[in-house]
Amino acid sequence: MITLREVSARVGDFAVEDITFDVPQGAYGIVIGPTGAGKTTLVEAIAGLVPITHGMLTLGGSDLTRAAPERRRLSLVYQHAYLFPHLSVRENVAYGAVGANVVAEMLERFGLGEVAGRNVRVLSGGERQLVALARALARRPEVLLLDEPFAALDPRRRVVVRRELRTIYFERRFTVLQVTHDFHEAGLLGDVGVVLDRGRVLQAGPPEELFRRPASPVVADFIGAENVLAGRAQPIRDAEPDWAPGADAEDMEHAVAFTTGPITIYALGHVIPGTAHAVIRADEIWLARAAASSSVRNQFQGRVLELSPAGAITRVTVDVSGIPLVAAVTTRSAQELQLAPGVEVFAAFKATAVHLC
Amino acid sequence: MPTLPLITTDTPARESRLEPILSVLVALAASLFLLFLVAPLVGLVGAGGLRGLRLLGSDSELRASLLLTVGAATLATALAIAGATPVAYALARGRFRGRALLAAIIDLPLLIPHPVAGIALLLVLARGTPLGAALWTLGLQVTGSVTGIVCAMLFVSAPLYVSAAREAFDRVDPRFEGVARTLGDTRWRAMRRVTLPLAWKGLLAAAIVAWARAVSEFGAIIILVYHPRVASVLSYERFTAFGLREALPVAAVLVLLALIPLAALRALRGDDLLPQRRR
Repeated sequence: MITLREVSARVGDFAVEDITFDVPQGAYGIVIGPTGAGKTTLVEAIAGLVPITHGMLTLGGSDLTRAAPERRRLSLVYQHAYLFPHLSVRENVAYGAVGANVVAEMLERFGLGEVAGRNVRVLSGGERQLVALARALARRPEVLLLDEPFAALDPRRRVVVRRELRTIYFERRFTVLQVTHDFHEAGLLGDVGVVLDRGRVLQAGPPEELFRRPASPVVADFIGAENVLAGRAQPIRDAEPDWAPGADAEDMEHAVAFTTGPITIYALGHVIPGTAHAVIRADEIWLARAAASSSVRNQFQGRVLELSPAGAITRVTVDVSGIPLVAAVTTRSAQELQLAPGVEVFAAFKATAVHLC
Repeated sequence: MPTLPLITTDTPARESRLEPILSVLVALAASLFLLFLVAPLVGLVGAGGLRGLRLLGSDSELRASLLLTVGAATLATALAIAGATPVAYALARGRFRGRALLAAIIDLPLLIPHPVAGIALLLVLARGTPLGAALWTLGLQVTGSVTGIVCAMLFVSAPLYVSAAREAFDRVDPRFEGVARTLGDTRWRAMRRVTLPLAWKGLLAAAIVAWARAVSEFGAIIILVYHPRVASVLSYERFTAFGLREALPVAAVLVLLALIPLAALRALRGDDLLPQRRR
């Protein structure tokens, strides 16, 4: 288990400040943030390579805020592997290994048996990263820290390395904290997501929550929510039980009218009247050639501006009274609906698909 | 119809006409510079090299002087390695207050005239000073002794070692040590298992440079120690006492001696004497 409480650390002029989050025992945590957010500084602070100037770090329940790196029972894998260039593949994997049998096991599992005697300088980028992972895991760490471990790999190799790591992770159930700038990694791998920017945590929680309920427009934009609209929110007296006499208004989600430009969107939430942002994921928006009679509260007529096919998914940008809305539909649906720039369509989404922040 | 600005090609054309002349001028300046550096050394070795080598067999004073020079320089280099390596490491890795000032102080002996360095050492290490008296009671006489020669050599060569060793450590990414520490190494163990093996070529090159500098020292040594005579002092003495003809062989032998560290450095850097064919 990794627990950080108001942790601050500094490297030169750059600092991470007031970092608080938990990664439960055996969980897979993801720190997401743009380049320069402080992700590597954070990981190095947890590893003990950068001193923590304030706050508390516990690993597996022990306070290790000031402990030397070698006492933390963790391993760290950087994006650029940092294999010891004066050692062979086998010697690298054996460097901190708990036993010779573990070295042999790791070499076999990561398919490194044939290159075990080679100097690491001659390995490809993918092989180097496999050796780095094997070396880290041969120590049998209680916590594995991964700093963009897949970023330097080609897509095919990335799948292989990620799959092998996941297999070992599910077998051993150590705690993992992985840093990435790629929000797709967070959705694919994580139990806990932490969004970091400019040295501070913007939001921490299950990745699903980050995707569906981003705490701010910055988080929404970073994690790839396609529709982030600025406007004004106003709670509305809609129908019971929303405003039923005696109901505890603080605990209930209210119907909200969110106005952006000439359109008004129906949403739900706890909102203070005034300026707000509405976040709608592209895959929550449906497209139809005719107005549909359904429970969907938001339905707007618009005109297709652009289609961006990407394999089985096509992103369709629809102009709704000057507001561009991006919908993600299957490419097959886009073909069946004969979508093309200039075509009139209806874009619809449920009030529950609108997240206000 | 709008008029388009004319694109002139006058300047590049003029430059291309001047290019051959510029090339000749640059080549001439470089040749003169190389001639200035090489001619005295080649002249010296040519005039006294063979006689110097022959003298090595017959002139016991020259032999003793060379042995003393090489021995004292080796000892000074060993002391520099022992004392200055941690300093170089601290300067490369440490983020402490006063680091820049410490680096500047260590560089200072490189910038002062070497007789001044000798005078400074004399002020601290002469028998009449507290430190010199303490050393005397320990049986270490600095002035007029091998100890003084080693001190003078160490003073002028150690800063070069620190500077080059610091560069060698700088070239090793600290994250290698970081990874080693997360794999269970203490700071010292990580340094021994990772940093030193990665920096050893640079450290050895630093030691060779320091040794070469120590061998060639004259100004600081002659203030502290006239006897026993190192090779540079012997060559000076023979020049002043017997003239150029007697000084030439000793001086030529010193130039030939300097080729040893030069060759070692080149071998360490993997430089070839002949250009490699391009693949």
